[in-house]
Amino acid sequence: MPSEFPINDPRNVWQHQPTEAYKMSVNELRHKAQQRHSRARFEALYQITIGLVLSAFFAWSFTRAHQGFPRFGLGVLSLWGLFAAWQAYRWIWPDKLKPDETVSTSLEFYRKELEKQRDYSIHVWRRAGLTFCFLGLAMIVVPELIHALAAPRLLLNVMPVLVLLAVWVAIFIPKRKRNLRKLQQEIDGLRLFERENPS
Amino acid sequence: MNQDSLYEQAAQTYGASLDRLARAYEFDAEARRDLLQEIHLHIWRSFAQFDGRCSVRTWLYRVAHNVATGHVIRQRRIRSRLVSIEDIEIMPADDQSERDAGQAQALERLSMLIQRLKPLDRQIIVSYLEGMDASSIAEITGFTPANIAMKVHRIKNVLKRWFGAGGSYAE
Repeated sequence: MPSEFPINDPRNVWQHQPTEAYKMSVNELRHKAQQRHSRARFEALYQITIGLVLSAFFAWSFTRAHQGFPRFGLGVLSLWGLFAAWQAYRWIWPDKLKPDETVSTSLEFYRKELEKQRDYSIHVWRRAGLTFCFLGLAMIVVPELIHALAAPRLLLNVMPVLVLLAVWVAIFIPKRKRNLRKLQQEIDGLRLFERENPS
Repeated sequence: MNQDSLYEQAAQTYGASLDRLARAYEFDAEARRDLLQEIHLHIWRSFAQFDGRCSVRTWLYRVAHNVATGHVIRQRRIRSRLVSIEDIEIMPADDQSERDAGQAQALERLSMLIQRLKPLDRQIIVSYLEGMDASSIAEITGFTPANIAMKVHRIKNVLKRWFGAGGSYAE
């Protein structure tokens, strides 16, 4: 069928493209919204439960351990489990979600989304309490590693994993820094633009 | 008007337009359907807060573009390759041998161009292609009308290079 409008007119091409008649009934929407709320609540509960179970497990191990350092490490890990559960409640519990931000202007929304991404990358370590987690693990593993020094064969066996870990860290950290820098540059650009052009 | 009737009326009036908007942000048909569903859900929810300070159209496009922008931002790998309209303006245009090949090819070229753009520029070009004027686009995006006019000028230059002279895109 011949085209009824000039194809070198992008507006016409765009507006006359075939579209699907898509519409959701209000009942469907309500159902979807409830489903989503329940899913978010389930996810939060799941994370809280995992944190509490880990905390209980490490606390139980703590009561059974006899060596000083690993015992202390298990205690730290138990506290970390509690911290993780509390953080899940604090950040994921659906009733605590912020009001809908999609109604703000595109410029503001875009900047806030980029800022969220930046903050997530910066604070993920602190928010997940990974310092406690690694401290606890180190307290358990390091004494064992010191023992392993007496048997160098064991260390040799572990070496490929350590090398891979070192390579990953060497690639990951500069890449992460580069991405964060780019993100920050874009945010700064948008902020400057907003300041210079108040709408 | 309450939330439900506002949504029903808006979906009736702007349904096709929202479908086109989703196409500008997602190539894959299945993912696009999910995105469209997400857009509709957010629009319906947002109408609970609608206070009439702007038109329903502005409100709806704002929500729809923001949901779609969130979708693009979450795809980090894709996001890092996106460029601005200023970048595209100085790039050589794609092979124009298909310029007059037909509507389907023209639409494909246009979609390709749109999908290379950063979210904010994408919003402006889509709004422009939908036939909105600079002040309406400014109200949706939060840019000043002067900024939008400048961007639209660039968009027109790019479209002229990609699609040749002619058509009704001159304001």
